[in-house]
Amino acid sequence: MENVIEARDITKVYTLEGGLEVHALRGLDLKVARGQYAAIMGPSGSGKSTLLQILGCLDTPSSGSYQLAGQEVSELSEDELSEIRNKRIGFIFQSYNLLPRATALQNVALPLMYRGTSAKERLQIATKSLERVGLSSRMDHRPNQLSGGQKQRVAIARALATDPDILLADEPTGNLDSKTGVEILGLFQELHEEGRTILMVTHEEDVAEHCEKIIRIKDGRVEQVQEVEQRRLAEFTGAIP
Amino acid sequence: MLLENVKTALEALFGNRLRSVLTLLGVVIGVFAVTTTISMGAIATAGITSELQDFGSQSLFVVVDFDNPQAQRFNDDDIEALSRLPIDILQQQSTGGEIRFEEESSSISLNGTTANAAEVDRTLELDRGRYFSQADEKNAAPVIVLSSDASQELFGDTVDPVGKEVAVSFGDGSRVFYTVIGVKKRIGGALGAFANDVSGDIPLTTFYNDVPGVTRGEYDFLPITIDLDRNANDIEAQVRAILDRRRGSDTYTIQTIEGALSLFNTITRILQAVLGGIGAISLLVGGIGILNIMLVSVTERTREIGLRKALGAKRGTILQQFLIEAVVLTVIGGLIGVLLSIGVLYLIVAAVPFLDRVIISPAVILMAFGVSVITGVIFGVWPASRAANLSPIEALRYE
Ligand SMILES: Nc1ncnc2c1ncn2[C@@H]1O[C@H](COP(=O)(O)OP(=O)(O)OP(=O)(O)O)[C@@H](O)[C@H]1O
Ligand SMILES: [Mg+2]
Repeated sequence: MENVIEARDITKVYTLEGGLEVHALRGLDLKVARGQYAAIMGPSGSGKSTLLQILGCLDTPSSGSYQLAGQEVSELSEDELSEIRNKRIGFIFQSYNLLPRATALQNVALPLMYRGTSAKERLQIATKSLERVGLSSRMDHRPNQLSGGQKQRVAIARALATDPDILLADEPTGNLDSKTGVEILGLFQELHEEGRTILMVTHEEDVAEHCEKIIRIKDGRVEQVQEVEQRRLAEFTGAIP
Repeated sequence: MLLENVKTALEALFGNRLRSVLTLLGVVIGVFAVTTTISMGAIATAGITSELQDFGSQSLFVVVDFDNPQAQRFNDDDIEALSRLPIDILQQQSTGGEIRFEEESSSISLNGTTANAAEVDRTLELDRGRYFSQADEKNAAPVIVLSSDASQELFGDTVDPVGKEVAVSFGDGSRVFYTVIGVKKRIGGALGAFANDVSGDIPLTTFYNDVPGVTRGEYDFLPITIDLDRNANDIEAQVRAILDRRRGSDTYTIQTIEGALSLFNTITRILQAVLGGIGAISLLVGGIGILNIMLVSVTERTREIGLRKALGAKRGTILQQFLIEAVVLTVIGGLIGVLLSIGVLYLIVAAVPFLDRVIISPAVILMAFGVSVITGVIFGVWPASRAANLSPIEALRYE
C-alpha cells in the first residue's frame, strides 16, 4: 500500500537560550500507509509532539528527509508549506488553539478562507462540519462559553472543514473525562472508516487500542511499531456534554 | 482575497474593541494636538498681524531724537513743509498729570491736539458724547475727551461721565478744571485688549494755556497719517528727504508699524516653535500609546498569527491583514483628530474677539496625519511581521 508519510533519519534539535541543545528527535524513521489509523505512544519528553508537529508541517526538522504523499517537504517554501497545511492536513491541538474572540462557526470557517472559498460556502461547510461533531446548538458560542469537550469538537470540526486526508491529533482525549474521550474516539473511528489517515498521540494504552497500530517512541526514535491485536471500538453518539 | 482580508481586519478590530479604541485614542491625541497647536499659532499670528495693520498701516510716527544734543523740537515750519505731501499731520503735545473726580484719581497722559484729530486718526471713535470742535479749539475751551480706560478709572460703569467736571493737576502743583464732553471707544481687538491707555484729549490751545513749561508751536513728535491710496514706503522716503534737508538725518527717528510687526513676527515665530514642540511631544505621547497597546497585545496576536499560519495563511496575507488594521485605525483616528481640532479651533476663534478666521494649513494636517499613520503602521505591522517570520508552532508557543 502507498505510504502517505515517509520520514527518514529525522532529527530535531532545539537550542535553548543559554546555547544548550536539546535533541528531541535523533534519527527517526517512520512510514505510515494511506488510510492507516495509528497511535503514537511513548514516555513524556520522548519527542511525540515534536514528531507530530514536523509531520504536520508546523515545524521543520533539523535534518533528515520527510516525504508527504511523495513530495519532499524540506524543499518547499514557507508559502508552499502554508498551502500544504491548508489542503492536506487537519491538525488537532491538545490545547485546541481556537481564536478566543471568534465564534465556533467563525473558528471552523477560518481555514477555508485561506483557500479562497467564498464566504457563503464557508458558512455552509463550517455549519455541516459542526453538525458532524454534534455541535449545531453551539455555533455562535465563543470558546470561553464552551466546555473542554465542546472546544475539542470545535477543533476537530475545524480540522475536518478542509476535508484533509491526514488528521494529526496531539492527545485529543488528554483533557477530557473518559466518557467524553470515548465519544471523540468514536468520531475518529468514523473518520477512519471514511478512509482518512489518522495519527494520534496518546498516553493511555486503552485509548491507543482503538487504533490499528501503535507506534512506540523512545528517546527521539521509533522503538517499535506494533499491531493492535484486539481493537476496541467506540461509537459516536453525538452526546458529548 | 483583499476584500476578505479587509473583512478579517475589521472583524479583528471589532473583536477587540478596547485595544482598537485605545490605539485610536493614541492617534486622535497626536493628530489633534499637533493640528490644534500649530494652527492656533498661525491663527493668533494672523489675527494680531491684521489687527496691527488695521491700526497702524499708512501711519508714521516721527519723534525727535533727544539722545542727540543737537536735536531740536519740530516746529510749525516743519509741519508747513511736510504738508504738501498727501498726508495729514496732527499737531500734538503730551504731558503727564494727575486726574481726579470726587474720591477717584489716577495718573493720566494728557494730549493737546487739534479738532481735526477725530477725522485724521482712523482709530479714533467715540463711545459717548462728542469730540471738541474748531470753536472749542479757538476759544481754548476747558473741555476734555477721556479714553475708555480713563473714564473707567474715574467713573466706573454706573456714572455717565459726560458733563462732569474733573480736576487735573501738574508736576508744579498747578490745577485746572475740565468738563468731560466725550469718551472714546476702546481700541478694538488685540491691541485694545492688551494696552492700558489712561489718557485724555484737550484742545491744543487749552494745553498751551494750562500746562506749565511748554512752548507754543514746538512738538516732541509728529503723528502722520498717510492717504490710503498712497504707498507708505514712498511717503516715508519723502518725509525723510524733507526732514533731512531741514534738520539733519540724525536728529529724529521714524517709527512705523512695519518695525513693530517685524519684532512681533519674531515673537510669534518663537511662539509657533514652542507650540509646535508641544504638538510634537503630544504626537510622541500618542505614538508611545500606540506602541504600548501593540506590545501589550503582542502575545495574543503572535498566537493568532501562529494559528492563522497553521491553518494555511501565507505570510503576505497576514501582513496585509495587519497593515489594513493599522491603516484603518490610524486613518479613522486621524480623521477624528482633525475634525475635533477644526471644531475646537472654530470655537476658540468664535470666543476670542481679535482672532478673525480659522487657518488650518493642509501641510500641518498632512504632517500630523502622516506621522500618526506611519507610527500606527510601524507599530502595528512590525510586531506582526516578526511574528509572521516564526514557524507556526513557535508563534503558537509564544509567551
Ligand atoms: N520549544 C522547545 N524548546 C526546547 N526544547 C523543547 C521544545 N519543545 C520540546 N522540547 C524538548 O524536546 C523534548 C521532546 O518534547 P516533546 O514535546 O516532543 O515531548 P512529548 O513526547 O510530546 O512529551 P509529553 O508526552 O510530555 O507531551 C523534550 O525534552 C522537551 O523538553
Ligand atoms: Mg507532547
